Amino acid sequence: MHEMSIATELLEIILEIADKNKIDIIEEVHVKSGVLKKIVPDVMDAAFIAVVEGTIAEKAKLTLEEVSAQVRCNKCKISFKPEIDDFLCPVCNKADVEVISGNDMIISSVTGYSKNDIEKGKKDED
Amino acid sequence: MKINVIKRVLKANDIVAQENREKFKSAGLLAVNIISSPGSGKTTLLEKTIPALGEKKSIVIVGDLETTRDAKRLEPYAYQVTQIQTGMSCHLYANQISESLNDLDIEKTDFLFIENVGNIVCPGEFDLGENAKVVLLSVPEGDDKVAKYPTIFRVADVVLITKIDLLGVLTFDLDRVKNDLAKLNSNVPIIKISSLKSDGMDKWMDWLKEKHNSSIGEQAKFVTE
Repeated sequence: MHEMSIATELLEIILEIADKNKIDIIEEVHVKSGVLKKIVPDVMDAAFIAVVEGTIAEKAKLTLEEVSAQVRCNKCKISFKPEIDDFLCPVCNKADVEVISGNDMIISSVTGYSKNDIEKGKKDED
Repeated sequence: MKINVIKRVLKANDIVAQENREKFKSAGLLAVNIISSPGSGKTTLLEKTIPALGEKKSIVIVGDLETTRDAKRLEPYAYQVTQIQTGMSCHLYANQISESLNDLDIEKTDFLFIENVGNIVCPGEFDLGENAKVVLLSVPEGDDKVAKYPTIFRVADVVLITKIDLLGVLTFDLDRVKNDLAKLNSNVPIIKISSLKSDGMDKWMDWLKEKHNSSIGEQAKFVTE
């Protein structure tokens, strides 16, 4: 259940981004989720819904984009895509690698609007 | 309005972990993060390890959801012990370690053992600033756990197979564990140990002392001078 910890920090970051950019309501958050983080999307959704309650992100949609893993063999220096239970280098047949990608959770965008936008919209309608 | 950003989640934990790492380095101690399922023998291992280190002073930070039982068990052996009750959290965070350090005399300590919350999923995701991750797998848990929980075993610096006195009683294929580990972390040392019977303790102590020397050896010499 590290999803709950991730959701809590995710909320802190998106609220900060919203504040800096004068966003009053957050509509969508796009997150690139490394496959090695082993995030369970349903659990992540549930955790996100729990933490955003009562905030400006209460109705926000969380979109997770899975990022595949890439590792580099420390001996052969070649890059390859590992399986979750198999990090053996195809050349030397040893699992001694450095992770290049797939081990991060990165917020790539936050979408929302300000109250001014709404008021402006209403005036436009009038 | 769409704001494009690149913001890493869990960066806050990593920043505090790095600060912890620097504090450990400047104090010249080896910080070891001990990770396993509940009941794999983390506390019993420490009850045997700390006295075996002789003159070397050890501090223990224990993480559990509830109670101070493990801290009380370790008090007779360690220089200082502190318990973190995590409530609903299934792992320790770097800032909990950082806060605990305020009450601990790390300058006078050689080893810091962090007994993480019993869990082999989440603790692997949260750097505490430790020099090494020690992962325990006990014989009663079964020989299939490396393949079932690969992430923690992939990042382990040493794997201790604990409760090996039960090898003849329970079905446990050690080769299966070794084969699964070889696919994830080929160079990781595997030490078979029974804390109760003191089997394998010598190899574990050798590993700890070697890690202490390789991580902070030069600094230790500097302190002596």
